[in-house]
Amino acid sequence: MGGMSTTAPTRERIEQGDEVAEPDVPWVVIVWNDPINLMSYVVFVLQKLFGYSRDKATKLMLDVHQKGKAVVSSGPREKAEFDVFRLHGHGLWATMQKDR
Amino acid sequence: MPSVFKRVGKDRYRLRLSPEEVGVLRGLPDQLRSVLQDAEPDPVADRLFPPAYRDPEDAERQAEYRRLMQEDLVAEKVANLDLVVGTLERGEQRQRRWTVEVTEEEAVAWLGVLNDLRLALGVRLEITEDFDGIVMPDDPDAAAKHLLSYLGWLEEHLVAALSS
Repeated sequence: MGGMSTTAPTRERIEQGDEVAEPDVPWVVIVWNDPINLMSYVVFVLQKLFGYSRDKATKLMLDVHQKGKAVVSSGPREKAEFDVFRLHGHGLWATMQKDR
Repeated sequence: MPSVFKRVGKDRYRLRLSPEEVGVLRGLPDQLRSVLQDAEPDPVADRLFPPAYRDPEDAERQAEYRRLMQEDLVAEKVANLDLVVGTLERGEQRQRRWTVEVTEEEAVAWLGVLNDLRLALGVRLEITEDFDGIVMPDDPDAAAKHLLSYLGWLEEHLVAALSS
């Protein structure tokens, strides 16, 4: 999936309770194509949630529609999870995974 | 043709419908509410609340996501329903059209409810290909498919008004 900039992974390890976090690999948020959501609605939601321009939101929507999915945002896990949560709140079929 | 949804001010939108349309719309929020508040596993709930994590190695994170977020997602959708029901009760008949003025917040709630209803209908109808709105007369699901088309048409108008 092209076009999205991601932060470079670092080697830093962060202690979280008794769990040693993995290296700080960025996460990507993916929106998947579905047969119900309207194209205009998907553009509207991407603009509203991420502040994207109409052109950028339209390009992402077309990638979702034609290629089946698009990376719509990326970042640390907490940010990606929050983005997925907001996309779910708007009925988009979104998932997140490590960018590798 | 007059617009169904029209921006009439900074924080005001006007919704105008036929009495028949309002009759149909009034029956829908309760159906969605029962899906949202039903704890039983259901394909509609699976679509409205999809998993955030797909990788099997993230199963624990997914369980945590569900535990922390599900309640908020349901609450958000129920709040949208309440706002929509409020506007349906507030509207009145003017010159053969049913009319109500709504705030931006209420219009956005309408958008959420219309979209949730369409997602729910799409799952019930097992729609897997892009739905073009064409319904064969002998289709046993014709009524539900016409409803899906109608709600999509309404939603298009609402997105256009909110983007205007």
